[in-house]
Order: sequence, then structure tokens, then C-alpha cells
Amino acid sequence: MVFSSLIFLFAYLPLTLLIYYAVPRRWRNLALFAVSLFFYGWGEPVYLFLMVVSITTAYLFGFLIEKYRVSNPGRAKAAMIWSLAINLSFLLFFKYYHFFAANLSLLPFVELPVLKNLELPIGISFYTFQIMSYTIDLYRRDCGLQKNYVSFGAYVTLFPQLIAGPIVRYKDVDEQLTQRRESIDHFAAGVTRFSVGLAKKILVGDMLAAGNEYFKSLGTLEGTTVGAWMTIILYTLHLYYDFSGYSDMAIGLGKMFGFRFPENFNYPYISKSITEFWRRWHISLSTWFREYVYIPLGGNRRGEVIRYRNMAVVWLLTGFWHGANWNFVLWGVYYLVILIAEKAFLLRALEKLPAFFRHLYTMVIVTVGFLIFSFVDVGEGWRCFTALFGIGVTGFSSSVVWYQLLHTLPLLLIAAVGATPLPRKCFEIVTARFEKTKLLIPILCLLSLILCTAYMVDSTFSPFAYTQF
Amino acid sequence: MNRKLQIVTVVLFVAVLFGFSLAFLITPDATFSEQENRSLRSFPKFSWKKLASGSFGDEINDYFADQFPARDVLVGLKGYSENALGKGENNGVILGENGQLQTRLFDMLLADRSVVRDSDRFDPATVQKALDGINRAGEHLEIPFSVLLTGRTIDVTVSASDYPSDYSDALLSQLRNGVGDGVDYIETVPMLREKYDAGESVYYKTDHHWTTLGAYYAYAETMRSFGMEAEILPMEAFEKEIASEDFYGTAWSAGGMKFVAPDSLEIWTLGNEDEFSIVADGAPLDGFYSRSYLEKKDQYSVFLDGTHDVVTVKKEGEARPTLLILKDSFANSLAPFLAQHFDLVLVNLSSRRDFTDLTALAEEYGADRALLVYTVENVITADKLWKLR
Repeated sequence: MVFSSLIFLFAYLPLTLLIYYAVPRRWRNLALFAVSLFFYGWGEPVYLFLMVVSITTAYLFGFLIEKYRVSNPGRAKAAMIWSLAINLSFLLFFKYYHFFAANLSLLPFVELPVLKNLELPIGISFYTFQIMSYTIDLYRRDCGLQKNYVSFGAYVTLFPQLIAGPIVRYKDVDEQLTQRRESIDHFAAGVTRFSVGLAKKILVGDMLAAGNEYFKSLGTLEGTTVGAWMTIILYTLHLYYDFSGYSDMAIGLGKMFGFRFPENFNYPYISKSITEFWRRWHISLSTWFREYVYIPLGGNRRGEVIRYRNMAVVWLLTGFWHGANWNFVLWGVYYLVILIAEKAFLLRALEKLPAFFRHLYTMVIVTVGFLIFSFVDVGEGWRCFTALFGIGVTGFSSSVVWYQLLHTLPLLLIAAVGATPLPRKCFEIVTARFEKTKLLIPILCLLSLILCTAYMVDSTFSPFAYTQF
Repeated sequence: MNRKLQIVTVVLFVAVLFGFSLAFLITPDATFSEQENRSLRSFPKFSWKKLASGSFGDEINDYFADQFPARDVLVGLKGYSENALGKGENNGVILGENGQLQTRLFDMLLADRSVVRDSDRFDPATVQKALDGINRAGEHLEIPFSVLLTGRTIDVTVSASDYPSDYSDALLSQLRNGVGDGVDYIETVPMLREKYDAGESVYYKTDHHWTTLGAYYAYAETMRSFGMEAEILPMEAFEKEIASEDFYGTAWSAGGMKFVAPDSLEIWTLGNEDEFSIVADGAPLDGFYSRSYLEKKDQYSVFLDGTHDVVTVKKEGEARPTLLILKDSFANSLAPFLAQHFDLVLVNLSSRRDFTDLTALAEEYGADRALLVYTVENVITADKLWKLR
């Protein structure tokens, strides 16, 4: 199930709220665990089993880690590695088998069978990382043993962040699992956050996606320079609205149930460098890789060479995490090269430039990056890339491209301004100045909800880009 | 936020959630949407297989969207909102000047039979396959064969919006140039464009068909192409009746812009309509016009009773040449004019049954002439013409 569906908003969510607040406090984790399993099983009933096995493995190995943590660190480490290995093997098999089978079969004498029925379990990349964070946090004594299976299960399956994050590290919610306080102000903040996220996803994100689809399919028939730029600009904006909208909804829903999830986006498109961009984009994933890969490998404390090696490991993994295709690996390498360049000399050079050029530099890099990201077929991506510079196109533009551009312009402008902190700042200034305008908050929430419902009722097209990971 | 405001926010949110879900539970399921002119989905049949594949969930979601409370109002709300955003279109339907709706996006069929959804392009190879079918039929037929490929609204009402006509022009010129020597090509789009620009309502504003006036012009063009110019009945000979002033057509349904005004629909009569006997799929029709449709949403079906596989029109006690018309719905409003000169056999090419063997049909009905009346929308989105012979 996805949040931006009628069935979620008007059947699942009311029932879930009803059940959650009707049962006594001690049963609330059980209630969350049960409804979350239902949420997952709705779209992927077969893989429900896989997720439960993953959860149970980490839960049971937790006891071993705890047992040997003091008396026999070697065994504790072995238990941790086993737990991680089992969970990772599920991820590797279900997400990457096709990729490895296809690529290894290119070698002589290697023939791996094609498994036709093997589909990517939704959200597996997200929940596997959450499960792994528990095992590692426990081993590092950043958290205590979770003896309650229901609480642990609720942590992993918590429906707001189950299929697309934010990736919540166990130590961040350890306490909240047992001692959280639901309250009106939390709930109200949750409602506003959710309404904003819903509007970002449905009113802007999906519309940008439709525009992107249009230019993309036009580009395969008659490539134009303007069309190619529109394709990737719309995609870049779409991805932000889609994904950050979903994160907003997740954080908002979490608040309705008394949870505080970490932030996932912080206006990434106002960054002045790529280094800054990655501190603002998909923060929970970057944090995960920093905490559980980069720092354990020695981070930047063991000299330049080791530091670059560690960056290489992290960025290859980040790329590959996003999908079992070469374009994602390429995307990771692309950022690796740029980030190393920034660390080595580029950042210092950039600082001398006016802010405008630093923004421009960042957005061009990011936009071209998402071009690599969006074309699973690398050859097709290359054609779109060359079209940006007028190579292999049928013309600079066409009358239909101009028409489409002109009519997408208002949406593009709204989307561009909305990706900066400007609207929020304006709203804060106005509400601080005129107390009465705070009345707008519930009214805007209501408006967003109704309008988004209208869009959902009249639409069969609302893919969510990040569920494929 | 102060406490009161927080409570209001929460209460409103919960009220909307529960309000819609309760309304959904209470209101009985509708089976048909008048406004959209289509059947609505009912609760899906459960099966373990569907549940396991996850498709049961998808079906429930579709069911939910179709049966959602106040669906028509919400659909209209989206139409308003999209329009306010300066897009000038919704669901691929452009809102042009004077409330002229133009469907712009179609599901384009490629020559390898794959489909590109929501495209305003056409595949020249697909069009060539259609032309091959037309030319093949032209070679096989031993009687004169004419084709009248009718324009889409977007091809004719070009001046009503800033949407460029490049694709329309390219499509029409490929068709014009691709029809072989053995086939008469009846060109109507440039003429109808001129009439439209001169302020004549030749196409409906809210529907994809031509109006009765547009059909009349196409009739005159067809007669000229048949070499029967002298026999064309003048426009003044007809009694023009405004049969409806609240016709909301297909583009109106798809576009969701509920503020757009309805069309009026005209019925033109000569006074001799009683003298024709019309049989649709074996059952006699009560004249060219089935007025009961004027009470419904789908008012264009007033012409020849909507969709039938085979319709024959004969004039009592008069031996006349037979015109075989292989067609889609555009021919339904054209037929009453042509029936003044020919006995007609109208065969629905868009039917599920296979009517692509034109040569055999001509023999079966003893036709003296054959005419294809088919919209270019079907040329670029369907493969029926590929098999024509």
C-alpha cells in the first residue's frame, strides 16, 4: 500500500487510528505490528514471510550478541556477523540475483538459471538496513537488548517508514518503542506535516512525473535539445517532490503515533556544493552509510589514501543500493569522483565564486546525476545526455516542445520556488506578525487533503519512484 | 500553534478521513456513471491467487476510486485546479477558446503493436500499414472505392488553441500521399478547418464527433468526389431542429472541466424520412434518429441508434444503387444524407467481429460502391485497417 492512495487514506488510516487509540497503552506496539504487517501484506503477501524471517533472525541473534558481549567478544562478533550475513544474503539474492546472473553469464562457462518469478520485495532495501542497524548498535552497546519480539517487530515494520524510509537507526527509537507519549500537539504537527507531504507528492510530484514521461517518450521519437533539458529538469524536481513528500508523510504519520523520526531532506536543491548536497539529500541513508560503513572502515582518520578508499566503498555501495543496474553503479562512481575532487581542491576554488555560480554548478551536477539515475538503459541515457548539447537531435526544439514547455512553466516555477525555504519563511513571518493568520494552518491542511483526494479520484497514474528500491 | 488551533487541525483531519469512509460505506454502489458514460467497477471477486499476486489490492483501489463519494464533484475540482495552474488542459484535453475542448493525447499504437500511452505523436510505420490495407482493398475491389478519413477535433479546430498543428498536418499529408491510384481520397479536414475558422460549428465543442453541419459538408464533399455534384441537396432544403441543448460529450467527460458549457445537437430532416426502412443487426429501427438517447448522456447515439455491427437502409419501392460503408461512429450522422441517394449497408469496422474483408462484404451485399469512413484517431491507435483486403 502507498500513502497516496484512497484505500490508505480512507480505509486503512482511519481504522488504524481507531485501533491504536482504542487499545490500552501496553498493547499499542502489538497493534502497530499487526496493522503494519497488513500494510505490507496488502501489496506483497508472499514476501511477508521473508520479512518475518529477517526480523526473527536479527531478534534471536540479538540474544547471542548480548550473552557474549562481555564474556567473549569474539563470539559476540561472530554472532553479529552471522546475523548481518543472513539479512544481507536475502537482500543480495532478492534484489541483485538478476543482475549477477545476467552479468556473470557473459563470462564463458558460467550459466546461472533465469528465475522468472523472482520479484523485488518492496522496501527490502529499507527494512534490511533498519534490521542491520539494530544488530550493529547492540554489538557496539549503543542500545540495549530488545527482549520483546513485538516491540522489535514494530520497530522494523512500522508502516510509516517501512517501504521508503526514513531509515530509522535502532538507537534513535529504542526509547520511543517503550516510552513514547502521544499528544494533541504531536498529532496536530503530524497532520500538518502529512498534509504538506501529500500535497508535495500528489499536486506537484505526480504532475512533474507526467511531464517528465511526456518529454521522455517524445525524446525517443524525435530528440530535441530543449526536450532533453526538460526531461531531466522535470525528473530532478519530480524526484525531490516525490521522495521528500513521502518522507514528510512518513514523519507526519510517525508523529500521529507518538514517534519522532529523523529528518530525511533539508532543502537539497539550495546547496552550494555537492558535499553540501549530500548532507541535505536522503539524510538517513547517508547517515547510515557513514555510521555503519565509513567510520568503521576508519573514516578520514587514517590518512588520505584510506580516506579515499573508504569514500570509494561508500559511494559504490550507495549507487548499488539504489538499484541492481549498471546505471546506478555509474551514478555512485560519478558522485565519488566529484566528491573526491571537491575534497581535494574544488571546494576551495568554489568558495571564491559568487553564490549564484556555486548554485548553478551544484544543480547542473545534480541534474546530470539524475539523468544517469533515471535511465536504467545506459545507452538511452547517453542519447539523452548528448541531446543536451545538441548532438544527435532532430532540432533545437519543436513547436510541440515549446507548447508543452510554456504550459508546464507555471508548475515548474511553483516547484522550483517550493524546493527552497522561501515559502516556509514567508509563512513564518506572516504568522508571527499577524496571530490570526495561524487559522490558515487547519484550513490549508483541509484544502490539501480535499484537493489531493480529488486528484487521486481522477487519476490512475501515481507511481511512487522510490518503492522500487 | 496554540491548543485550540491544534484541536481544530486534528478534528478536521479526522473528520475528513472518517467522513469520507463512512459516506463510502453508507452510499450504495453505482453501476454506471452518466457523466463519464462508462460502467463503474464493483467490488472485485476475491481469489487467493489474486491476493497472492497483490492484484486484489489494486482492484480494490480502483473500485474505491470509482465508487468514491462525490466522485463527480471531486473530478470537477481537479479540472478547476489544473486549469487554474495555467496548464490549459486536464487529462490530455485542451480547453480552447469559446469552450472548445480538444483531446490531444492518445494511446499511440506502434508498428510492432506496442502502445505508447498518452502521446500526441503517431507512428508513420503504423499509418503506412493502414495505408497498405486500404490500397490492398482498392486493388481487390471491382467497384469504385473511396476513403474519407475524418479528422479528430484537434486536427480541425486548430485555431481554438495555441497547440501547434504540426503533427496533424504531417499525419494528414502522409494519408493523402499514401493512398494509391485505385482509391479515391476524399479530403475534408482543410475544408472543415476553414469553415471552423469562419465561425461555423462543424465539430462539437465537448465531443469528438463532427456536428450535423460538419457531416453535411462532408456529405457534399463525398458527393462531389462521386461525381454527383449536381445531385447535392442544398442546405436550405433541410428542416433544422435543435434536438438538444445539453449535450456533454466524450471530451467533456475525459477533461473533467465541468464549467464548460454543453453543446446543442441538431437533427436535419427533409420530410421524407418515413419512407426509409432501417434494420440494425436484424431488428428494425424506428427511423434514423433514436430520440430516447437525448435523455441520456451519450446523445450522439441519437444517430442510427449508436453502435451496431451491420445497419441497412433502404427506400421503399425504389431501386437504387447500394453503397457499402465500412465505418466507425462518424458515419452515423453522415448516413442520413447519403441515404437520400443510395441504399446503404453500414458495417462497423470497430466491431469485435472481423469485418476487414471488404471484398467479400461487397459481394455479399451486392454493393455498387464502397466507402470507408474512419477517423484518423483509429488509424493511429488501432490495427483494424492493417488487415483490410
